[in-house]
Amino acid sequence: MVKPTRVTNSIRALRFANGEMTQADLADRIGVTRQTIIAIEQGKYSPSLEVAFQIARVLRVRLDEAFGYPDEQG
Amino acid sequence: MAFLEKSNWVVIFVAVPALLIYAALVVPQVLGKPIAEVSWVQPMIFAIVGFIVANIAGNVVAAASNPGEADRKDQRDTEIDHFGERVGNWLIIAGSIVALVLAMTSADHFWIANAIFLGGIAGALLSSVTKIAAYHGPFQQW
Repeated sequence: MVKPTRVTNSIRALRFANGEMTQADLADRIGVTRQTIIAIEQGKYSPSLEVAFQIARVLRVRLDEAFGYPDEQG
Repeated sequence: MAFLEKSNWVVIFVAVPALLIYAALVVPQVLGKPIAEVSWVQPMIFAIVGFIVANIAGNVVAAASNPGEADRKDQRDTEIDHFGERVGNWLIIAGSIVALVLAMTSADHFWIANAIFLGGIAGALLSSVTKIAAYHGPFQQW
């Protein structure tokens, strides 16, 4: 039930590419806590599809530019 | 630290002293005289009411320390909250089952009440510890 997510993300780099947006700014703009943004950035939590879309929209990229899902390793 | 995490730390900081104070008032009596003569009702009420009042006060202080975050709860908070409650409920259920068995076997009221009381306190503690662990480690429900 509690397992690391395989979803990867580029949120940190994208925040810096968007005027060095802070985690708090991003959190405020999508209505989550700063701790949730930290957990998502660190790969400790994968957001719902809706929050993922909101993050991508605020960072002005496509969803698959903000988030990735690596192929199964043989 | 998210407000809900602080709130769970409050539960731990309040529940442990409440349990220890209750134990300090009751355990010496249990060891020293018959169960029927043990004065446990007042200490238990004191522990329960003290826990509730201190928990409310602790949450007010936690909210006042960062008012901006006190009313913000997102999906992750809700998922962690529900997960912790589900885990903690197992101890509450266990305490209730023990109380049921004690009642069926005509045990003294002292043991029945204490099974429920300890199940409740232990459940609250387990729930809060689970939530805090979820806040710090990987957390995914699917």
